[in-house]
Formats: sequence, structure tokens, C-alpha cells
Amino acid sequence: MSTDTAPAALRRHRTIHRRGAIGLLLVALPVFLLAWLIIFPIFSAVVGTIFVPGADGAREFSLASYRFFFTDGYSLANLWVTLWTTAVCGILLLAIGLPIALYLRFSQGRLAAYVQGLAIFPMFVPSIILAYALIRTIGPNGTVDLLLNSIGLPKLRTPYLTPWGPVIGLVWDNLPLTVLMLTAGLSSVSNSAIEAARDVGARPLRVFISIILPRMGNSLLVTASFAVLGIFSAFTLPYVLGPASPEMMGPFMQRTFADMNDPLNAMTQAVITFGFCLVFGILYIRSIARNPETRP
Amino acid sequence: MSIGRSGISLRFDWIGLLFACLLTLFIALPLVVVGTWAFTEVWRYPSVIPQQFGLRFWGQTLARPDVWEALLLSLRLTTTVTILSAVICLPAAYAFARMRFPGRNILFLSFLASHAFPKFGLLVAIAGIFLQLGLISTFWGVVLIQLVGTLMLMIWIPVAAFQNVDRRMEEAARDAGATPLRVFWSITLPQAAPTISAALLLTFVGTFYETEGAWLIGAPEIRTMPVLMISFINNQIVVQYGAVLSVMLWVPSFIALMFARRVVGTGAFARGFGA
Repeated sequence: MSTDTAPAALRRHRTIHRRGAIGLLLVALPVFLLAWLIIFPIFSAVVGTIFVPGADGAREFSLASYRFFFTDGYSLANLWVTLWTTAVCGILLLAIGLPIALYLRFSQGRLAAYVQGLAIFPMFVPSIILAYALIRTIGPNGTVDLLLNSIGLPKLRTPYLTPWGPVIGLVWDNLPLTVLMLTAGLSSVSNSAIEAARDVGARPLRVFISIILPRMGNSLLVTASFAVLGIFSAFTLPYVLGPASPEMMGPFMQRTFADMNDPLNAMTQAVITFGFCLVFGILYIRSIARNPETRP
Repeated sequence: MSIGRSGISLRFDWIGLLFACLLTLFIALPLVVVGTWAFTEVWRYPSVIPQQFGLRFWGQTLARPDVWEALLLSLRLTTTVTILSAVICLPAAYAFARMRFPGRNILFLSFLASHAFPKFGLLVAIAGIFLQLGLISTFWGVVLIQLVGTLMLMIWIPVAAFQNVDRRMEEAARDAGATPLRVFWSITLPQAAPTISAALLLTFVGTFYETEGAWLIGAPEIRTMPVLMISFINNQIVVQYGAVLSVMLWVPSFIALMFARRVVGTGAFARGFGA
């Protein structure tokens, strides 16, 4: 290395170093918010529910709030109804979303655009307005009852205020992202692979099972994880459309925290929802970490 | 071969028609119903259409002081959150899109990973901290909680916008002697602006309708529009109040959101969630 190139290299090194520092400075504030308002509360909730203030004010190790949750019949019924709702919604979302996404992947024209528009439309409807609209539609003496009555059919038992109420609302609300995510996953399946399979005489079902499905495993996993994480602790729709007892974990946590003024048990319920969603959270993080498209 | 293709396309059309009909019924019916209720004065069971249409309940809803209080509060809150999230997130988005710094990938992924937790559980955990800090039932408590919800959106979409800016134009401007700030202001920002404004619009409308954090952190002092809607639904005083409020608040934001549709409709938006 000659004597005059050394300072140039040093200068370049310093410039890179300075740009790196500026970059870190620019991202510092949102990173701080992320750490303070997402990561810290999770640790704080876990620690705060395990080390609780004792009689003398000092914190001591105790699993009493967890013991209470897992021995309390009402808490367990709420957990069960939440698991049931999440499973039913997850299955329904994939069963409805996948055929729509497949149709959109292979179709063009006005009808396909209309179907896509409708499938994405709920994203533009806030859940509180949806909740209100569904009460007027499927509630007692709602529009569905009116229409059934007008063609001489008896009333259906309304799903409103039963566990099926939140299922209908949550499927409605989560359909757009499910369809968008599955369509994004399907776009990675190349046309030539499908054409090749068709040319050798494969039927649509065969093409789906042998060509499409293996290539969109990751996309299915992310979509399902995302739906589960969203539905497990949903609040507005279960609160407005669901039964008062047993209730889903979202309304249960809200009531314990605000109405019963019992933050310790509310936090315990929150940590339990983290625990039940942990597998899906890990699957989600693992797949976005692997996916090159989610990098800047 | 061509017969086979047309056979498939004919079948797909029928499937499309089936999807279109089912989705129209499932998606559009509840919205048509709420729209009809807003312009109805009398609708008694079992009449399929209302007995009397009219605007009487619009006057009554707009005369309620609680509606105006909630509307003004929501607008103040939403504007504050949108401005704050732009100030905090846009420089970070630029850094993620254009600069190399240690930990860049892991920090960026950690924003996407913030979706990996059940939202309401997280809100309860945050509420526990806000309780100790005295932020429960305060304006700034609700601002903070809503800011968290906007972080990912206001970083992810602008990152894509800054990446799509034509680098050659920036280099040309720099060669012509423009300062980095001048290049950013005259070349980079105008090109990224449409996508960034879509992100701002999504943030504004998303914050306006955010219900869960606003209620958990804000109750009982901070009553935003969605929180007021919940009390209208629960108390069921007059059916039309909720319907009028829904139409009144949803139509303008729906029109605004349609401008952001280009961003939402692309694969990039879904990829922001890891698809």
C-alpha cells in the first residue's frame, strides 16, 4: 500500500462508519418504541405474574394466578371457546380463501376483478361498523329473518350472541388478508410448471396437489399463523357479537383489567394467550426471517 | 389443446360467477342493510322494506353533543398520531431502504415480527405498564398505544417507496452538483410521495377506527368515535343512531381508502405481513 492511498482508505472507512451511525440514529426512535411498547411489556407481564408482591411488599415467586386460571371453571371455559373459535375460523378462512385465491391466480377479466374487489373489500370496513351491520343482518328480526319470512321459511336460530356470531364476523374481517397473502404465495408458482403438468394430461386437482400445494407450503403456514394470532385475542367482534358467558379471551381480559380492576389476573390471561400463540408466532417469525422478499 | 383450454376457461367463468354471487351476498348484504337503516324512519318486522324512509335521525344524531365531542377528539387524536408516526417512521424508512448500518436486517425484521404476538394480549400487557405510569385514561396514553399500531405500516410501505425511486435520476442530479438534501427534496421525495401518502392515509383511517387500544387505555375519559359506537350498540337506544354514525363516518374514509387501494391491491402489501 502506497503512502497516499492509506489516508484515502481511512477517509472512506470513516465515511462508511459515519453513514452507519447516521442510519442507526434515524432508526433509533422507532426501535426504542418497539422495545419499550412491545418487547418490554411482554417480559414485564411474564415476570410480573410470576414474581408477585407479597404481604411485606417484597416480590416473591408465586404461580398462584396461573394455578387459579387453570383450576377456575369459568376461565377454562373461556379458553376453550377461544380455542374452538380460532380453530373454526382458521379452517373456514383457508377453506374459503384458498379457492378464491386459486381462482384469482388463474383468471382475468371483469368477473375476476369483481371477485377480487369484493374479497378485499372488508379491509376497508372497520370492525365496529361491521359488528353493527351484522347485528342488523343476522340478529333477531334482522334482514336474514325478514328474507326467510318473506319466502315462507321459518326463522333460523340467530347466531348473534352465540359462539357462531364472532365466527361469522371474524371470517368476514380476516378474509381480505387471507386472500391477499395466499394470492401473493400463489404468484410464486410459475405458469410454465402448471402448463407442463397440463400438457402431460394432469387434471386441475392433480395440478393443485402435485404442483401448486408443495410450492405454497410457506405461504399457507404464514397465512394460517397470521389468522390464528389475530383471532385468538380478538376483542371487538367477540365482545359485540359473542355470548357474555363463556366469552373469548379478548373480552375476558378487558373485563378482568377494566371492570374487575384486577391487572394481575388480566396479565396472567395475557401471558397464557402468548403461550398458546407461541408456536404460531415462532412459525411466523421463522418464515418472515427466511423470506428474501421481506428484507429491505 | 385449444379445446381443452377453452373448456377450462369456460368452467372458470362459472366458478367466477359462483364466487361473485356468494361474495356479494356475504360481503355486501350487511353493508346494504346498515346503509338502509340510516335512511329509515320506520321499519317494523316482518316488512322486507322499510315502511318510511327519511332523514329525521340524521338531524337527531348530529344534534347529540356526545357525537361532536367524540368526533373532535377522534380527529385530534388521529391527526396527532399520523403526524408523530410520519416524523418518527419516515426517516427510519429512508435509513432502512438506503443506508447500510449494523443490525439493519434484524432491526427491520423485528418490526415485521411485532405481528407475531396476539394483539389484545399485548395491549393488556402494555396497559399494565401504563397503569403504573398513570397513562391510563389519558390522551397521550391513547396516542402512544395507537402509535405502536402504526409503526409497522409506516415503515414497511415507505421502505418500498424509497427503494423504487430511480437511482439514475438521483445520480444525475448529484453529478450536476446538487447537495444530498437537495437531491432528496427534489428527486427522491416527489417520486416516493404517492406511496407515502397512501401509507399516511392508511395510518389516518386505521387510527380513526382503532377500537381496542382506545377503549382499553382510554376508558372511561377518552371516548373516541368507535368507543361511542360500542356504547350505541350496547345500549341500543335507537337503532338508527348507530346506522347514521356508521354511514356518516365510513363513507368519507372509504373514499379516502380507495385512493390507497393501489398500495393494498399489490402483492407488496401482503408481503409486508410476511406472505
